[in-house]
Amino acid sequence: MSHNPNSRSSALAEILSDGTTRVTISGNWSIESAVPNLIFKGDKVCLVPDTLGEFDSSLPAWLFQNFKNVRQLDISRLPPRLQSLYNLAEKSTIWESPTSPPGFIERFGVWGIESFSSWQRAMDHIGQTAVGLFRTLIGRGRVNWNDFALQLQTSGVDALPIVMLLGFLTGLIMAYVGLIQLRQVGATVYVANLVALAMTREMGALMTGIIACGRTSTSFASQLGSMNVSQESDALRALGISPVEYLAVPRILAVTLMVPLLSLFATFVGVFGGMIVACAGDLSIEQYLTQAIRAITFKSFLVGFIKSFAFAFIAAWAGCYRGYVAQRSALGVGNAATSAAVLGITLIVIADAIFAVIFNLYNF
Amino acid sequence: MNPSILISRNLCVGYNDKAVMSEINFSLEAGKILAIVGPSGCGKSTLMRVLGGLDEPLSGECELLGIKVTEAQVRQREMTLRRSGFLFQGSALFSSLTLRENVEMPMREFLGISNLQIRQLAEYKLALVGLAEAMDKLPSEVSGGMAKRAGIARAMALDPEIIFLDEPSAGLDPISSARLDELILKVRESFGTTIVLVSHEVPSILRTADFCVYLDSDTGTMGAYAPPKDFLQLGSHPKASAFFSQIKIS
Repeated sequence: MSHNPNSRSSALAEILSDGTTRVTISGNWSIESAVPNLIFKGDKVCLVPDTLGEFDSSLPAWLFQNFKNVRQLDISRLPPRLQSLYNLAEKSTIWESPTSPPGFIERFGVWGIESFSSWQRAMDHIGQTAVGLFRTLIGRGRVNWNDFALQLQTSGVDALPIVMLLGFLTGLIMAYVGLIQLRQVGATVYVANLVALAMTREMGALMTGIIACGRTSTSFASQLGSMNVSQESDALRALGISPVEYLAVPRILAVTLMVPLLSLFATFVGVFGGMIVACAGDLSIEQYLTQAIRAITFKSFLVGFIKSFAFAFIAAWAGCYRGYVAQRSALGVGNAATSAAVLGITLIVIADAIFAVIFNLYNF
Repeated sequence: MNPSILISRNLCVGYNDKAVMSEINFSLEAGKILAIVGPSGCGKSTLMRVLGGLDEPLSGECELLGIKVTEAQVRQREMTLRRSGFLFQGSALFSSLTLRENVEMPMREFLGISNLQIRQLAEYKLALVGLAEAMDKLPSEVSGGMAKRAGIARAMALDPEIIFLDEPSAGLDPISSARLDELILKVRESFGTTIVLVSHEVPSILRTADFCVYLDSDTGTMGAYAPPKDFLQLGSHPKASAFFSQIKIS
């Protein structure tokens, strides 16, 4: 029987007297055209070609999908090439052992174990960082000092423009909001106190910490995550060098050194930003500066400095930690960068709240 | 005799204008399996990329599927690439997609068929390489060998006329490697696909390849082009034979 070279793929199922379902396959089968939908019943199926034309992988794929679960399948009448393609897929499935999807309890258990091991990894990394920092301080650490110098530049000097812009705008906004409120009670002169105190104690450190999370943490997570992908961390481990000590310690040191300085810079720029708004309103430059200087005490500076130091450590550690535990794929590196920023900012806000309570308790 | 599907004329390949391998001349018939062998760093993968039209040669001419890829316009070259499949050394699976989505991706881009049919084809291709049970896993969740096999399934997604495989057996255990050889032979036999592979596995080359290009790193030229069994006979191609026997011993 000759076949029409242009005929479309088709399949017809009919039930024979002995209960066998006979499926007749015909036409040309191509991955670029639609394949027929087949609905049939029965565990005993016989496949029969009828004017079967050209076919590519679409036909064995269709057969595989429709008949893989049939108990008694007779493919002996199909062309040998098609039989071999079908059997190859059938045989290949044995390569992997079948797994059933996990149930609710199993998934809950897995979640619990994963959460616990995540905390365990974080604690382990903190411990390794502490040991690395201690070894470095006593001069026994194996630290990449080239990285340290580079990070001083990238996390410090290179961050100056963005810190300046955000610090300036923060001071400006605070002065603007403060001026509107204080004008109602005739106390506009205290705008200087508000801006100076808030920038020194709180906003300078907080803004710089958040900038460090967005800029530096993500960068660290990407760098260390990529090193995981290319097995550079494994290479260090194989040399007997702790990757945390070699890679994380110089980064953490550089950031904890530069961020407090940036915070100080942001504080001054913020106070200056506030001055522009205050002087454009009701105050003179002398009034503003006198009030601001009177408001800022050494204690305020110390509070801001302690906070900025802690925030810097948190931002740098979050980046290094997320990079260290990043999965070995492009997706893993991306996730590490995102989670580094989220973890860093969350921990900074939590730390800020803790500082607020502690400083309040000790009247600092 | 089948027409030649891949022709290399005086091809010279390398990096950054520095020639690594030159004077590469051969012609491969459709439906044949070609293995590219040679010492590490001799430019096997580079040659494969040039033959497949992914990279430009430094000089010479390459004809793939009847198109001179070295002279073809971008559009024409893209059309030729669509008729080819590639497996890269590191599998190059998209890490944000599951194995099935990786195989489905080229079908979604280039075939105007239903989602159900795309799924059917992808599942079949993954079943061919023995990954029917792992198709919903991400590349990061499977072993290197499984990722390789998924890469092969993706290379076969569009039923290409020619498939380029860069070290397909690397990272596979001997049994999986032998099954992969069987798969390669079946794909060739059933679909008539031409296969070009870069490999170091002599047993695998002997099992699968019809022809072998031996790249001689000492001279920086193609040392021999012959059926792999010829390389086992000392005298005909001394360097290639030495290379084959050294690998066999090791």
